[in-house]
Amino acid sequence: MSGPPPITASLVVFEDVSRFYGEVLGVNRVTLSIPPGITSLVGPNGSGKTTLMNLMAGLVRPTRGSIHVLGVTPAEPEKLFRLLGYSTQFDSFPRGLTGFQFLYSFLRLFGHTHAECEKLAWKSIERVKMVEAASRKVAGYSKGMRQRIKLAQAIAHDPRVLVLDEPLNGLDPMVRAETIALFRELAAEGRHVIVSSHILHEVDMISDQVILLSNGYVVAEGQIHSVRGEISEQPMQVLIRCSRPSALASKVFEQDHVVEARLHADGGGLLIKTRDADRFYRMLNHIALNGIEIESVTPADDNVNSVYEYLIGGGEPTK
Amino acid sequence: MMSQWWLQIRAVIRLEMKKTFFAKRGWWVYALAFAPAALFLAHSLDTMRDRDRRQALAAAHPVAREALESIGPGMTRDQVVARVGEPYAQRTMRFRRVESTLYFYTDGESDFSFSFLDDRLVRSGRKDRPNLAQETVRFAGVFQFFYLRLAIFFGCVGIFMNLFRGEMLDKSLHFYLLAPIRREVLLVGKYLAGLSATVVIFTTSTALQIWAMLWQFDSRVVGDYLHGPGWGHIASYLGVTALACLGYGSVFLAAGLLVRNPIIPAATILLWEAANPFLSAALKKISVIFYLQSLCPVVAPPSQDMPPWAVLLLSSAEPTPAVLAVTGLVVVTLIILVLASLRARRLEINYGTD
Repeated sequence: MSGPPPITASLVVFEDVSRFYGEVLGVNRVTLSIPPGITSLVGPNGSGKTTLMNLMAGLVRPTRGSIHVLGVTPAEPEKLFRLLGYSTQFDSFPRGLTGFQFLYSFLRLFGHTHAECEKLAWKSIERVKMVEAASRKVAGYSKGMRQRIKLAQAIAHDPRVLVLDEPLNGLDPMVRAETIALFRELAAEGRHVIVSSHILHEVDMISDQVILLSNGYVVAEGQIHSVRGEISEQPMQVLIRCSRPSALASKVFEQDHVVEARLHADGGGLLIKTRDADRFYRMLNHIALNGIEIESVTPADDNVNSVYEYLIGGGEPTK
Repeated sequence: MMSQWWLQIRAVIRLEMKKTFFAKRGWWVYALAFAPAALFLAHSLDTMRDRDRRQALAAAHPVAREALESIGPGMTRDQVVARVGEPYAQRTMRFRRVESTLYFYTDGESDFSFSFLDDRLVRSGRKDRPNLAQETVRFAGVFQFFYLRLAIFFGCVGIFMNLFRGEMLDKSLHFYLLAPIRREVLLVGKYLAGLSATVVIFTTSTALQIWAMLWQFDSRVVGDYLHGPGWGHIASYLGVTALACLGYGSVFLAAGLLVRNPIIPAATILLWEAANPFLSAALKKISVIFYLQSLCPVVAPPSQDMPPWAVLLLSSAEPTPAVLAVTGLVVVTLIILVLASLRARRLEINYGTD
């Protein structure tokens, strides 16, 4: 009788992984468990995002530690790449191929028949909306089209884990929105969608969880709200839209956990910094019951940008 | 599993063949491969033109070969003319009151020249039309000295080193490494693609060279040759060409996985192959040329015109029986491919430093 599959069979797991390029640090002592859903790797250039992705795909090997993608190590490419699709940041393609030929040739390497390859290639091309350009040479594609054909290559064999290095680079706003919708669709099907990005508001929009990297180290990981909650030394910022912001300011200043209250530039709200979010929200309920009409309450720094600034930038987020 | 690997190998070959045969950077391989065929063709054309010239002259100035062969030193010009008639051409030179005259004759097969000094024959010369035996020895020299050691050698450098290194430079190798294909299977696929391309290119050239060499001869001479050792020679040359691609291909495929600059391994291996005659018996066997030379059907004696370094290159290794030579070459190739596949397993994509 076979028992339940090990928990690691549904995770991408890094165990104490380090990678050095000579004396240069790629990533160091990374331990992660990435569940299904959209996970964003966030960090500045050189922080180790691409190294982490290349390690996952076996394009580089760890100097130390081990990696398992749904229980398979990157040293077994014949198993790994039936589970994993990777759209790299390398913007170069085999010479002389059309978009369709590129996908078709790639799929032939899986050992599929001609008919299967054609079917899978067209399905993938349709999914990234490249049907019209599929018969043109990749060399003549725009940056955005090359990004999409790489994405098509990554999803063509229907992998359970998608690793996408800066997949939104070069896409126009409309295609960007369509691509984000595709990521959500793939994640909703129970896949891992691991993307790297330095465009923080997009990460905020699409991610179920984030991994923040700096200088080769993982500085935070998890759901963005949990990560923010863990940064206790930084006051929470809350933007309150209300009918009488000045009256609200005088009320909140009576609380010892409120460290700053600033009128919003448009005069219709108040930006408050507090050291105790729970007490602040309880107090706000009380105030609301006492005549100040509150339209909205929005966490102003409960996003990747702010968390990133707190953890990596070493200062306050810019608003 | 084997059928899956075979499907993947075929997919790799299909992708590589187009790149290998029609690479923009690979035109020089064709030039190198077909240069000897062009030279043999030009030589044949020149020989045929010369034969036609002789025959036309012999028709206009008929003279018997025996009569020409009976001319000896000390005869006067009048005596020579009395025996073989007026020459079809003559040239006179004067140096310090001494007159030197050259008479030219032909019987349609050979050119004869007689040199007179002060009306006395001092020297006679004869230039025969090349025969098949001479041409096969000349072919052996070109094949062993130029074709094996330089054309096929550098052709394999160009094609096999590019299989991995070229894609590293183009930054497109990672697409192969993102497919569920064992690195060893990828290596075999690429090797077979390179081997197919080089075997097609170089054996075609070998066949063309042999055809061009034989073209100048009458069909009777060619027929006699083919009914004698001819087909055996042709098969041997084609086989040696294919084996050269097999051996050098494996060496340069492995080199392409190890080093960035193709010049360094090419120069090192060229030196190693050139030094083969001086090596010990055991070391000789770790080279490709050792086995190839043993398989060549005609020994190419060094020409007196050759510079000493070229003579050294032609020095043949102790002959090895054909079966042992083929087996040895295949074993060396397999060992190199196994080592290359170990390297391929550890291959990383790091275009920034490549």
